[in-house]
Amino acid sequence: MRDLKHLIRMEDMLQQANNELVREAREEGRKAIGYTCYYMPEVLLDLPGCFSVRLRAPNCTTPTMATYYMSGRTCHYGRSLMERALEGGFNFLDAQMATETCTVTCRFQEHLQRMNIIQNPDFFVEFTDIPFKKTENSVEHYKKQLQAHVLDKLHEKFGIDTSDEALLKAIEQHNEVCRLITEIGNYRKLAVPTITGYEFSVIMLTSLTCPKDKILPMLRETAEELKTRQPDIKPGWKIKVAVAGAENDDPDFIKLIESCGALVVADRYCYGSLPGREEIVVNEGQPPLDAIARHYLNTSCCPRFMPQDLMRGRKKYLADVCREYNADGLIVESNKFCEYWSYERTIDALIIPRDYDIPTCSIEKEYINSASGQLRTRFQAFVESVELKKLHGQTAKKAD
Amino acid sequence: MKSVLKALKILFFACTGLYLVLFLVFWFDLDGKALFYGVEPFLKNHYDKMKRKDPLEKVYKTDTPNYEYND
Amino acid sequence: MSKKTNLLKKAKKAVSVFWNGKPHEERRLGDLYLDKTGLYKHREWRGFKDTMYYFNMIWLYNYGNMVGDIVKYGGGLKALPLFLKGVWRYRWLGQTYLPVMHWYDRGLEGMRGQALRASAWHYRAMTSETIRQFMRMLAADQRLGGSKELYDRTPAHDETVWGGIFYPWRDRMDDVPLQMIPYFVTCHVNNHTVLNYIDAAQSIGLPGDPCPMCQAECGIFLQDDVPEYYPFVVTSNEACDGSVGTSVIQDWMMDRPLFAMPQPMQFDDPLVQEHCAKEIEECWKFIEEQSGMPMNMEELKKNLEEQNELQRFEWEKWEVAANTDYYPINGVAQALYRIYQSQDGNRKIWHETDKKVKKILEKCVEKKINSFPMTRHRVIAWSCAPLYYSHWCTWAYNCWGLNCIINMDSLMFNMTIRTDTYENMLKDMALYHEWAPMRRMAVGGMNHIFELWEYMEKFHCDMVMMYDQLQCKGMQGVHGLFEDEFRARDIHAIWMPHALPDKRTVSRSEIRGIINDYMTTIMHEKPLDPTLLEFDDSEGW
Repeated sequence: MRDLKHLIRMEDMLQQANNELVREAREEGRKAIGYTCYYMPEVLLDLPGCFSVRLRAPNCTTPTMATYYMSGRTCHYGRSLMERALEGGFNFLDAQMATETCTVTCRFQEHLQRMNIIQNPDFFVEFTDIPFKKTENSVEHYKKQLQAHVLDKLHEKFGIDTSDEALLKAIEQHNEVCRLITEIGNYRKLAVPTITGYEFSVIMLTSLTCPKDKILPMLRETAEELKTRQPDIKPGWKIKVAVAGAENDDPDFIKLIESCGALVVADRYCYGSLPGREEIVVNEGQPPLDAIARHYLNTSCCPRFMPQDLMRGRKKYLADVCREYNADGLIVESNKFCEYWSYERTIDALIIPRDYDIPTCSIEKEYINSASGQLRTRFQAFVESVELKKLHGQTAKKAD
Repeated sequence: MKSVLKALKILFFACTGLYLVLFLVFWFDLDGKALFYGVEPFLKNHYDKMKRKDPLEKVYKTDTPNYEYND
Repeated sequence: MSKKTNLLKKAKKAVSVFWNGKPHEERRLGDLYLDKTGLYKHREWRGFKDTMYYFNMIWLYNYGNMVGDIVKYGGGLKALPLFLKGVWRYRWLGQTYLPVMHWYDRGLEGMRGQALRASAWHYRAMTSETIRQFMRMLAADQRLGGSKELYDRTPAHDETVWGGIFYPWRDRMDDVPLQMIPYFVTCHVNNHTVLNYIDAAQSIGLPGDPCPMCQAECGIFLQDDVPEYYPFVVTSNEACDGSVGTSVIQDWMMDRPLFAMPQPMQFDDPLVQEHCAKEIEECWKFIEEQSGMPMNMEELKKNLEEQNELQRFEWEKWEVAANTDYYPINGVAQALYRIYQSQDGNRKIWHETDKKVKKILEKCVEKKINSFPMTRHRVIAWSCAPLYYSHWCTWAYNCWGLNCIINMDSLMFNMTIRTDTYENMLKDMALYHEWAPMRRMAVGGMNHIFELWEYMEKFHCDMVMMYDQLQCKGMQGVHGLFEDEFRARDIHAIWMPHALPDKRTVSRSEIRGIINDYMTTIMHEKPLDPTLLEFDDSEGW
């Protein structure tokens, strides 16, 4: 396929957290607000005067200093963030909007709070308590938390305008990003998709890690470009897969899967777009914060939700994603030491093939996948098995 | 009267005897040894061989119930 | 003449040993073990009075009561066949219940006088409460032909949900935690049992690194080893991500109406209290709906006030432990009793036990009886303890004179609950619920985990036994900060690596080796009883 115009620039921007667009925005006097989890609504951090940066630690393979603080038995992602912070890679941050949504990222953020790691005199860390359910009680609680710990703090510390008008403006910009990402992502649903999983992953990640207003022109152009993009005459993939699982902000992981013959058509993992890039709907008369709180709770499919219907509904959602995106199989991944996804992955790998007849490959990975040889073997074997299944299916249909 | 006394005597000696036997069991940890070498291996063998339901065959209804308290 | 004097001396000594037992340094307790098994060649002679006390009031009394309690809690003699059926059906029951006296032996080894008595009463209470719970499970167990009526009146909950949530129905229903007996108690009594459950969890593809407690809790269900005694369930996110993860597999296996009652993570934030209180109210609504029984507010109030009495006595105990040398309860009895009681909530047996212990405590203070005279260091134990070696403190005192005064689990539920108004009551219940095991310190906010320094000072401790649960992400995540703090504060801290219930990761013997190394190389001390330095109890319960 023809190269996407902005892809290389976007790839460059993913090489470090303090990328050129972040630096540009800071030079304009805007405040950089870090966060790690979907439960911290990025739209609130994108109010005029500040911008959100979802933290990553690209190329961090051996988090030595962080391992002293957090031991070698915690998730590599949390440790890598800590390492990057200790190296000074997050000194551009003006604040960290923290959540205790998984233990190790919480501990990482607590270290930022307790130790003088971020070399920025104004830097502060603020924790928001996130509910485990989607009930009215949870929504009210979430709203209260977001008001007190995010909006009020931004206003108090940086003088950010947090009025309803400002929120509506932020929602408008956020929705445009979501519309564009969804539009771009929808090309993955085609019988022969005109975008690869890797390309989409790069685009999605830049939208999480760069100031929205600065990435928007590139997204618009990319969406335009894709309208006329033609697929390769002979596509290089053998099957299409959805990827679900734990934190993954490494496009090379997607590249690795695709190099084994499986085109990644759906990304249901932390830092992915499913869910995450749905537009926020503000009904008439509805306060924007209420709309935001409901949106983030209702769209999230995080394994942290505990009510029975949500635990069970997540399986169905995953199967629906596979069908909607015409995936032939599912790859469920979890990062080593991630407790939520260790369980979720185990049960998905049992239920999805059994109850939904979707071939599933279950793998455990590191944050940066230095053991790619082993993973490659696993993916190749999976692709072969799904291909065989497809062939059997076609033969059976012909015979009928 | 004599027979009552005799019965009491027998009871006394029986209780004392039992008490002494129990003390020996206690002292030489015979309860522990019996359980460790006899009862536990027997029960363990039984539990290991017990036929159990295959958990993975259990139905999991993912078209979920929706209780009022989940709204 | 000198031969005669020697003989006389020997005779005097023999009489003294017969009457008082050997002095601490001459006991050679390690010589009593049979290799590998942890069994005794013979039990310890503690002096006439204490040996007879142990035999009569602990060994005989408890064996007798173990049968008596089955009959008492199982509703008469018919309970005996039911119990046997239970033993035959459930591994955790059969493999664990029978060696219970060895659990006493391990925890009470070397204890004398008032320490022996007070600690044993704690053990007795835990045994009795365990029997009460499993007899209720069995009596309501539909698999064993239990009563349907009892089944309807026996709700289940995660062991980390505080039993107090069910107080409003305690006059009509009896809540039984799902894992307290099948998992938690078994690990202490017989650490072989739980390994089957951990392996079962991993056999379906679960990796080995999540918290083994959660793995075991899930494995019990996968092994189909949970009695069918409950019509509905209340679960919680306690204590960690692993617990939340386990819920999905448990829900699959249980397939019953389930109410999730998660506690807020940022529990210091005043804004979370209202949310948590509402969760409790919603849970009550769920229980009412499921059971068809309305709440009884009077029952709730009564139970809370009784629970407050238990807490007040706990404070009295802490006062004595912190400020005197006359505290008669050993480290393991203190830790286990407290966590069991505070999690389980108000039960008659705790009051009966506290009454007995109070008498002993008062006697010790009044007569200035030092039950741990060989104390060299006052130790505070911090973080999550190894369940398969909860009695390490007994060994550490006997071998090194390390007296474990208090531990983190004991200090968690450090509050009474107001009952003056509904609002205050609910507010305090929410807070109590939030301070659940391993939440307040180990996995919760970082502020509380560093309360260690305050408690060290309060309890006049000069050493820390720092539990290092290798699979606890919350504690592993603060490892370095503790290292830094220990160095900066010049505190003697021994890191004790372990894997909660799984002895295969770090054995008891390895744990002892780490303590021995620290005591010899860093502290330059000599053991009180060198026979306890190294012995093999790898196959022991």
